[in-house]
Amino acid sequence: MERLYDRLGRQAFGLAYRILGDAPSAEDVVQEAFLTLWRQADRLDPARGRVTSFLMTLVHHRAVDVLRARRGQMARQAPLDPAAVEQQGADVPDKVAQLLARDQVRMALASLPEEQRKPLEMAYFEGLTHIEIAKALGIPLGTVKSRLRLGLDKMRSTLGVRI
Amino acid sequence: MDCQEVDELAGAYALGALPDDSLMALRDHLASCQRHPQIAALLVVARSLSVAAPEREPPPRLKARIMEAIRQELGSAEGVEEAPPEPPPLSWLRRRSRPRLAYALAAALAIAVLGLLSWNIYLQVSPGGGPHTLVRAFTDGGAATGRIIYLSDEKIAMITADGLAPLPADKTYQVWAITRNMPASIGLFNASQSGQAAAIIQVDLSEAQVVAITIEPSAGSPQPTTQPVLKARI
Repeated sequence: MERLYDRLGRQAFGLAYRILGDAPSAEDVVQEAFLTLWRQADRLDPARGRVTSFLMTLVHHRAVDVLRARRGQMARQAPLDPAAVEQQGADVPDKVAQLLARDQVRMALASLPEEQRKPLEMAYFEGLTHIEIAKALGIPLGTVKSRLRLGLDKMRSTLGVRI
Repeated sequence: MDCQEVDELAGAYALGALPDDSLMALRDHLASCQRHPQIAALLVVARSLSVAAPEREPPPRLKARIMEAIRQELGSAEGVEEAPPEPPPLSWLRRRSRPRLAYALAAALAIAVLGLLSWNIYLQVSPGGGPHTLVRAFTDGGAATGRIIYLSDEKIAMITADGLAPLPADKTYQVWAITRNMPASIGLFNASQSGQAAAIIQVDLSEAQVVAITIEPSAGSPQPTTQPVLKARI
């Protein structure tokens, strides 16, 4: 766990900090994520190398919950369900690991037109729902839906992720 | 929710941007519909965004905090172990020869899980496992399945199993390392009510050909007295 922390701590803390914007909250989130990972270590399938993406998913999910609570919103009722998440990705090898070339991901994100990148970042890093994004940007909900989809599709093709 | 709506919402779903009611409806749909393979790719892309955030050095105290919290959880697991007859949720290995070794075993567990996880990462780079890690699936298990992971540098074997029959109080699972047809006991463990077990054993398996698990009287046996419920070739 210690070596795992040494390997992923900066990345996990970076993500929590990016979402929450302050160190103490980010620390709490990262600690919680590592403990959850530790408790579920036996559920992870070593053959598929999912530790990194699972940990980052935990960090992201928890950080967004904290952010939403801060905004006075109810925390999500739908729990994080790694099984459901994995199920959808079960037929593809965990490509996240191969995508860890972060420059590639950043470039793919940066290369999106602003109108696609902005809602995508608001969803992922600010934890906003598509309804909230539509309100904040003053555009129709249907437009947000399609821009989120288009943005991810474009990144997918830039990153070479295939089914 | 129909297929068209699911496709429209796929981006928001992958990014975690759906309100609860839509999320539930979409998950329900996906549970019974195979027509949306592209969602897996969108999830992969959305998850890759986690590395788009700049890395940041956490304060040094965070590592200490996390390791301390793990130690405390291990400590409370020992506490359960000390209080029969209530079975612990995950039964850690009991060693017959040195029953007071709980603390050392907790440490071994920490090292082994660390090894497992680090190796996990290693696998991402090198499919097929590292030179110092051996992974074998148990067979002969009927409904039971399991796996042994052996870290040869650390001389630690980690056994996980599922689908084991919970045993009465006067029985235990016993693990044997079999070298040139000679079985040697390397530890005892119990399964949870749901049939799961995890055991960490500090043992040198470099000479062993087979690791087998049998059901024995609760104090363990000097030699196996029943047929193995699980067996792995090393």
